[in-house]
Amino acid sequence: MKRHPQLWLLAAIILAAVLSASARPAGVNPYYLGVAVDVGINVILAVSLNLINGHTGQFSLGHAGFMAVGAYVASSITLGLAARFGGPALTPLLFAGSLLAGGLAAALAGLAVGVPSLRLRGDYLAIVTLGFGEIIRVILQTTDAVGAASGLKGIPKFTSFGWAWALAALTVYVVACLVNSTYGRGFIAVHDDEVAARSMGINTTRYKVTAFVIGAFFAGLAGGLYAHHKQFISPGGFDFNKSIEIVVMVILGGMGRTAGVIAAAIVLTLLPEVLRPVAEYRMILYALLILGLMLARPQGLFTWERRTGAKPGPQPT
Amino acid sequence: MKPPRLQLDSVTIRFGGLTAVSEVSLIVGDRELAGLIGPNGAGKTTLFNLVTAVYQPTEGTIRLGGEPTDRLEPHQLTARGVARTFQNIRLFPSLSVLDNVRVAARLHCPHGLRQSLWRGAAFRAAEAAVEKESLELLNIFDLARYRDEPAKSLPYGNQRRLEIVRALATRPRLLLLDEPAAGMNPTEKVALTQLIREIRDRFQLAVLLVEHDMQLVMDLCERIHVLDHGVKIAEGSPTEIRSNPQVIEAYLGPDHAL
Ligand SMILES: Nc1ncnc2c1ncn2[C@@H]1O[C@H](COP(=O)(O)OP(=O)(O)OP(=O)(O)O)[C@@H](O)[C@H]1O
Ligand SMILES: [Mg+2]
Repeated sequence: MKRHPQLWLLAAIILAAVLSASARPAGVNPYYLGVAVDVGINVILAVSLNLINGHTGQFSLGHAGFMAVGAYVASSITLGLAARFGGPALTPLLFAGSLLAGGLAAALAGLAVGVPSLRLRGDYLAIVTLGFGEIIRVILQTTDAVGAASGLKGIPKFTSFGWAWALAALTVYVVACLVNSTYGRGFIAVHDDEVAARSMGINTTRYKVTAFVIGAFFAGLAGGLYAHHKQFISPGGFDFNKSIEIVVMVILGGMGRTAGVIAAAIVLTLLPEVLRPVAEYRMILYALLILGLMLARPQGLFTWERRTGAKPGPQPT
Repeated sequence: MKPPRLQLDSVTIRFGGLTAVSEVSLIVGDRELAGLIGPNGAGKTTLFNLVTAVYQPTEGTIRLGGEPTDRLEPHQLTARGVARTFQNIRLFPSLSVLDNVRVAARLHCPHGLRQSLWRGAAFRAAEAAVEKESLELLNIFDLARYRDEPAKSLPYGNQRRLEIVRALATRPRLLLLDEPAAGMNPTEKVALTQLIREIRDRFQLAVLLVEHDMQLVMDLCERIHVLDHGVKIAEGSPTEIRSNPQVIEAYLGPDHAL
């Protein structure tokens, strides 16, 4: 199977579809199904941001912005077309098309942010991407065609957990396959040492833009899924806090570790749900738990550093 | 006559008021083992950075095989057959030993993003070829057995050697080595001298070497260029350099004189 990861992807998608189709007839509590969708969407967001922030070592704080682009584009398409092509047979096709369009629009936004940000790194890049996210939000807030501050309502409920998990599997597949190849090791080389990477013939500019574009594409897909899950979107839902939430998943997952980031996305989605009984203390507890986890495991929740090999020898003076 | 592998014509670079390299001209022939020596701060590393396009010269031209290299980016220069090691080791610390080499071999690996995702037969064949070539190179330096170790866990001498392997994976025709023997013990140094000669013969490449260990430089190099305060003060065979009064005065000291 290691030689044919495509089969894993296929199996995961089929499994997601079958489970999703049989969940409702089997009488599974719709609340759980809703949480399962949230988990899938957050896995997509975290794993795609991990390509930019983890593997490639850039610092983007604009993921919610890309998500917003995808959400609004996809919703506008389904809201515009669903009335005309209402047939249930066409729904999956319409939905897939609108998600794709949302992803592509977000990818374009990724290109627009990625190219000018290339000369920046660290804090500066973070600020520029943060600014981008805020600009998107402000534009949406003032555009009457997409409902301005009150957002878009009545978006058809197309997202099932089958869709969310199948696309989460696709995201994981793409990021993992990309990084696990001779070509993809270049992303990690850019992360480790840009000067050395350039000297080894790696076009660092190109790799960084590629990471931004692919990361933004999947954030856009996640946005489309989110819109057709909540059935309502407003600019406020894609603010700075949302970006931070995704960054926290990547950091807790251990920057650049796909499995860890998936696990962190799941844990951090479930945590607020589990804390629901304590109502008003919920967000405080959530924040404290994250703080605790960060302090307890700064290297990532699920990172156990292998200690092998000889110690580095003495450095010359 | 064939143009030389590397040719610098009155190359100057200034950093603000400091002229780090001043009107330096030098030629490195195909398959030549050349040395670049001089006291600390003479501008040797800066000259490497100029040749690899990390810096652009303030004045002068640099040619590779006769072609001017101005306006090329560092990665494009690598594609034209220049590879280097760094004075302060710059391996990719989070990659394994093998992956450090694979990344450099990527330059000659035909596939990119699409093939990495599709993973067809051609992709697998290319990956296998890259791995084979990388392991062969690692074997020359006896490093293949550490293939899956993180590069940063290697002892210091091996990290320096791994940097040479990584540079070789780009299939250079000119190899720039910045103090490759620094931090090595005498036995390792002798082995390294032998290895550098071997890779020159095997891969038919030119080597330009910066090194403070005079024994190694004198043993290995066919031609030596001497920098002092950014100015080239001498050039010649090891024997000529050893007996050059200006070089003795600026760098070698009386102990090294013949
Ligand atoms: N980017 C830079 N900006 C300003 N000054 C620089 C820069 N790079 C090098 N220099 C200066 O240029 C001079 C030459 O430095 P360089 O590193 O080339 O010396 P070197 O011959 O390699 O010395 P060493 O033997 O110590 O490695 C030094 O005075 C250094 O401070
Ligand atoms: Mg130096």
